[in-house]
Amino acid sequence: MSEPNMPNDPVLRAAGQRSGRDSELVWRSSRHARRLLTLGLFGVFVATLARRPEFAGLAAPALLLLAAGRIQRRPPRISVRVRLTAQRAFEGELIGVDVAAEGQGDCDVRWTLHPAHEIAPVGPTAADGAQARFVFTPERWGKRPVGTVDLVVRDRWRLAEGHATVNVPRLDCYPAPGQQRTTVVLRRLPNRLGEHPARTSGEGVEFFGIREYVPGDRQRSINWAASTRRGRLQVNTFAAERSQDVVLIADATSDVGEPGSSALDLALRGTAAAARAYLGARDRVGVITYQWGSASWLPPGLGRRQVYRIIDSMLSSDSGWARGTNFSRLPRAALPPGSLVVAFSPLLDQRFVEALRDMRERGFTILVVDVLNAEPPARRRSEHRMARQIWRMEQQAIRFSLSQLGVPVVHWDGEESLDLPLAGHTRRPMVNQR
Amino acid sequence: MTADQGPQAPVTADAPAAAAGAPATASTAITMREAVALRVAVALLGAGSVVWAAAPLVHTALASWALALAIAGVAAGALRLAVSWVPLPEDNYLLPAPARAVLRFLQALRVVPWEEGALMAVVWLEVLHPSRPWHTAFLGAALIAYLLATHLAESDASPRALRPQAWLLAAGAALLALGAGAGMLPAAAPGAGSALLRLVAAGALIVAAGLVLPHGAPSGPPESAPRTPDS
Repeated sequence: MSEPNMPNDPVLRAAGQRSGRDSELVWRSSRHARRLLTLGLFGVFVATLARRPEFAGLAAPALLLLAAGRIQRRPPRISVRVRLTAQRAFEGELIGVDVAAEGQGDCDVRWTLHPAHEIAPVGPTAADGAQARFVFTPERWGKRPVGTVDLVVRDRWRLAEGHATVNVPRLDCYPAPGQQRTTVVLRRLPNRLGEHPARTSGEGVEFFGIREYVPGDRQRSINWAASTRRGRLQVNTFAAERSQDVVLIADATSDVGEPGSSALDLALRGTAAAARAYLGARDRVGVITYQWGSASWLPPGLGRRQVYRIIDSMLSSDSGWARGTNFSRLPRAALPPGSLVVAFSPLLDQRFVEALRDMRERGFTILVVDVLNAEPPARRRSEHRMARQIWRMEQQAIRFSLSQLGVPVVHWDGEESLDLPLAGHTRRPMVNQR
Repeated sequence: MTADQGPQAPVTADAPAAAAGAPATASTAITMREAVALRVAVALLGAGSVVWAAAPLVHTALASWALALAIAGVAAGALRLAVSWVPLPEDNYLLPAPARAVLRFLQALRVVPWEEGALMAVVWLEVLHPSRPWHTAFLGAALIAYLLATHLAESDASPRALRPQAWLLAAGAALLALGAGAGMLPAAAPGAGSALLRLVAAGALIVAAGLVLPHGAPSGPPESAPRTPDS
């Protein structure tokens, strides 16, 4: 897995959400005060009942402490600032919550972090002082709430406690991208400047062939060895360099498998890795997130920021389903003709498989990365074993039918680099044929 | 974490804060050794108070009940402080039954006011003995120390936190001695003087209750509290 360092980019890393606001304090007696009250009242009661003044003396220190504690000033509200050290993070990255209070006077402040689901605190979750920092790590991708911070303000003698609760700003947690260095390149590339050597001569750096010299050719491109052999001047020609459109499809219908390495986790991680790899090769990359027959999409674009747009697009389509455009009627902007389509899917939704077939028949070059790493549970009964066997055969049939259509299917387990399953397709250009 | 919810491990977030370059936190927090010492002090002071109030043993049913209640209160209070570092998960329905039982026990340990029960039982044990004012004064001092140690232990605070109220504790000790001295005086004979004493005691009870019962914040913002434009 590559180093998740993108959100640490000084440009893209958020300065943090500042929310300094007044919080009303709800004051009540501390447990200490209640115990003192018990001792004081019971002592006076016994002194009266038993006519023994020494019990009034026993109650006196407690009552004196309580009475003196009443004259202390306690702030009715307090200004609290809660700030995340970053608004975006990858899974497993350490993030801090800075909390600071103002206006507490001479009272003591105690903070307690109550982390939300999938938020794992690193270190203690309680701290004393006017300001503190809690460190946590998001365990799974998503737009998730971090939790709340409880604030307890204690007066100087700790006889009363003021309570307030503050929400911590939400965190956008990106899936930790897989590793991919190589890219799949189409044989026929659009006539757009890029970094992939095309099968036509141009102004690139890769040797393409030699031809006879014509006036206007540069002298430095003359191939002297060939010229000597043929008796006429020959010049070297170089391959043109082009870019391609890549559309990544993340199948978000099925979230099967162990949490953290489920099909959806791997689909998002694989998509993020592919987006980084293709954008690094100056390709235009777009994404389509497929969900139950509908899709949300982001048109292909260039640049490093496109990685964040792609991941944001996938995360924003996480929370709902059956929304967005119909998958079979995607606009041309979402799926440009002649683009390379890389789909990350467990291939469990028959409609998605049909859509892939349809796209193939429309002439798109498709590569499917199978992210299914789970099977139905093994049971002892024969019908269960039979069902499991049938399920396996169905899966094999789906993959076989796709490969017969010219759609290669490679399997990725999420652990190894994506370069390994894609090796057979990255060594040579992929043929786009109808 | 409030005392009602049970204190956590007696450490602050300074360690990760320092690791992440956080601002320093000024506090009266204590080290692990001090936390253990405070818990041991609570147990010893509680046990000492019970022994002091119970000796010599009075063999009546009421005294036996009070002694049992005092022992149970002190022991449970000490146990509550000893296991205060154990976190209580909010969702426990997926846990196995033994773990859930342990969590319920811990919850009960933290919710029941054990120390209050122990206080009343100890004072009642003292009442059952014949008049020994100096004995009661010592018990009072021990009980106040027990309460302060319990408070420090459950809020993970250093004894330095008590420094601002030292003069008040000294005044309380003087009142305690005064009460013991008054108890050592010969009892007033039955009559108008005795009735007057009872009236004064009842009045003191009412005044004390009036002082401590409405224990809320005084109205109005403090002088030191800054106001923001939207407040």
